[in-house]
Amino acid sequence: MNTENHKVDYVKKEIPSKIKKIGFVLTVIGLLFIILAYISNPVRSGFNNIILLMFLSSIGVGSLFLVALEYLAGSVWSTPFRRISEFMSATLIILPIVALPAYFYLHDLFHWTHVESLDELLQAKAGYLNIEFFSIRTIAFFAIWIVFFLFLIRNSFKQDKTFEQNLTKRNIKISAVFMPFFIFTVTFFSIDWIMSLEPHWFSTIFGVYYFSGTVLAALAILTLIVVPLNEKGYLVKGLVKDHYYSLGALMFAFTNFWAYIAFSQYLLIWYANLPEETFWFLQRWEGGWIYLSIGLILVRFLIPYIGLLSQPSKMNPKRLIKMSAWILFAHFFDLFWLIMPTYGKGEFVFGWIELGFPVFAAGVLIIIFTYFAGRFNLVPSGDPKLKRAIDFRL
Amino acid sequence: MSTIDFTRELPVIEGRPSLREIDDIIAKPLESKPDIKYYIALSITLTMLLIGAVALGFSFYYGTGLWGNNNPVGWGFPIVNFVFWVGIGHAGTLISAILFLLRQRWRNGIARFAEGMTIFAVITAGIFPLIHVGRPWLPLYLIPHPNQHSIWVNFTSPLLWDVFAVSTYFTVSFIFWYVGLIPDLATLRDRTKNRIKKIIYSVTSLGWRHSNRHWQHYEMVYLILAGFATPLVLSVHTIVSFDFAVSIMPGWHTTIFPPYFVAGAVFSGFAMVQNVLIFIRKIFNYEHIITIDTLERMNKIILLTGSLVGYAYAMEFFIAWYSGVQAEQFAFLNRAFGPYAWAYWIMVTCNVVFPQLFWLRRIRRYIPVMFVIAVFVNVGMWFERFVITVTSLSRDYLPASWAYYSPTLTDGAILLGSFGLFFTCLLLFTKTLPVVSIAEVKAVVEGSQPSHGDH
Repeated sequence: MNTENHKVDYVKKEIPSKIKKIGFVLTVIGLLFIILAYISNPVRSGFNNIILLMFLSSIGVGSLFLVALEYLAGSVWSTPFRRISEFMSATLIILPIVALPAYFYLHDLFHWTHVESLDELLQAKAGYLNIEFFSIRTIAFFAIWIVFFLFLIRNSFKQDKTFEQNLTKRNIKISAVFMPFFIFTVTFFSIDWIMSLEPHWFSTIFGVYYFSGTVLAALAILTLIVVPLNEKGYLVKGLVKDHYYSLGALMFAFTNFWAYIAFSQYLLIWYANLPEETFWFLQRWEGGWIYLSIGLILVRFLIPYIGLLSQPSKMNPKRLIKMSAWILFAHFFDLFWLIMPTYGKGEFVFGWIELGFPVFAAGVLIIIFTYFAGRFNLVPSGDPKLKRAIDFRL
Repeated sequence: MSTIDFTRELPVIEGRPSLREIDDIIAKPLESKPDIKYYIALSITLTMLLIGAVALGFSFYYGTGLWGNNNPVGWGFPIVNFVFWVGIGHAGTLISAILFLLRQRWRNGIARFAEGMTIFAVITAGIFPLIHVGRPWLPLYLIPHPNQHSIWVNFTSPLLWDVFAVSTYFTVSFIFWYVGLIPDLATLRDRTKNRIKKIIYSVTSLGWRHSNRHWQHYEMVYLILAGFATPLVLSVHTIVSFDFAVSIMPGWHTTIFPPYFVAGAVFSGFAMVQNVLIFIRKIFNYEHIITIDTLERMNKIILLTGSLVGYAYAMEFFIAWYSGVQAEQFAFLNRAFGPYAWAYWIMVTCNVVFPQLFWLRRIRRYIPVMFVIAVFVNVGMWFERFVITVTSLSRDYLPASWAYYSPTLTDGAILLGSFGLFFTCLLLFTKTLPVVSIAEVKAVVEGSQPSHGDH
């Protein structure tokens, strides 16, 4: 197999340094606020820290999932965009640092850590919910993700220079091995860090719920970066609206999928009306939380649904940018709704303490992107599928 | 493996058959007299159907006492069979609608047949809730209509939602199937020399002339129908899962049921489609249309959905323990180690263990083994419904009322009859309508795609 027949003309354009500066400014501002927040109210900041952790994990592991999915499904339209997901999956590397502050306040965040005063039900769960096992699991999840990240991304970067088809084949195999790990790590990561905040509550669908949001976040950040890049000519020539279509369609599909999962969970618990399950939703129905609960339907489902319903809107660059930014906001909103009522206990909380965390997330993501964009090609220029991808039409 | 060249797309259809050759080979079964093998096959399936019909007749005459259903286990075979057949009916619309929206062109060779299977499976499934009522003259009241007895339906019951979901699904699947058939019926109309056939094809092809305008409208309708059918595929088995999950029966009330049931349905549906296609491609010489690559892709979906089902089993077990609810914990231990442990382990082996062999490329492409695995999948998925329905009911909250459920000969005969009905319909289908879409296959022959060499 010769390598000549799939070479594509790609000249790298540097990302303006202005973007990098914005990233640094946002990170510093965010960090300052976070430090202030920790000084003024460490417990509340700890809860916010978990939101931040879950958000960045979604971006990191979700992007890695998209990369693996492309290899496994053999999809072609997404090949010119894959590199951006690869960059964003580097978020995985900083997750241990993000988790650390929350880890220091474990005792204040997770009721099940109070071994001395647990009721009978929680004592029965102590085999799973104890600090040692919890820590081992969290470290294992991070380690698994980072190992797969390194393997997959290294091969892909290498291909830029060598044009070897074998690397694609190798990555397909790595991706296949990654998938079972992915689904179980994501599930138990969400059970550990979100569901166990309310240790009496349980729902078998919870992992799927977090998975749906994770994929949405990864798709949204990919769209948010790829569309402006391509409009300004940073990627290869020849990428047109047809390539955007699937980004819009997938965001639309996963918005529906999220709604389906969220509704299934709600309906089944509402209908059965068992007190051991309903209290979790009741907590989100008291105080100011009721507005957030109803708002979630609007923010996370109806607005993206309407915004991406028609076929032209799935290909319109402006609409895609707006909707992907909105979906990222909605993911934060969703995580806030999942996590903060445990802190609020019937009382709605929102204030300046909450603000630093999303600003920090935005800054860090920009830095990660610009760091990698400065060192590597913005498209997988050695990928054997790239030429086919440019020829792709709906 | 080293032969795969990622710079080029794998052809969906092998060789480069001319359009005429495609017409000829797909229309051949409709234009030739059935041979002896066909009659043998038909007599077998009709016998099965007849056995089922007789068993059903006895059930109507003597009542449902002929069945194994007892007091705690009010939902025996009829509900198990209903869920099983509805599940089989999921692959068709998934292949034709969802894979269409995902632009999976390899679906074109198998979509028509899978859709046909969907329709027959839903028809078969529909029989069971009606007979399970025990009074077959009453189900009319399931449709809310004003009547002298002032009987009104219970809109809060998922069993009623089932009536709406399944009938809507059937209607849309049928329309989708028929719309796809129109261009092919026109092709057959133009080919046939038989006067009666000509009249039938002329009427059913609705004046199709293969004109550009017709195709434009057709593509639009097909896309919209695919969009409608997609949520329907998911909703049907979701609502079937609600039948169980809204009640507070241990082992039934678990929030993962909706996506888990949908994955399971697609799993069993694909296995059934794969099984039947293996015969069809051999008997009708469609090996270049329904290629090994297509079968391999189907096996990958079987592996994916089978693993999702395995994931759901694992989550159910884990959360049953984690929840600390004693009844829930008991229900799952009872499944695995109670009187129905044999059924449970059949289910786990067939659904979770065997499909994992599809990780190996050689097995995904080796017909005898993939056939056997898919048969196991269907056995396993039938047992899954059996395990869910029967184990929970037979040992519910009140130990005094616990009872073991064993099906009777009549139950078995009705199950056999359902297979008879399904396969009889399939056999008739193969001789009356093109089992592969002529128009869609032509669209994926190499060289038929427009090229974009302008940049």
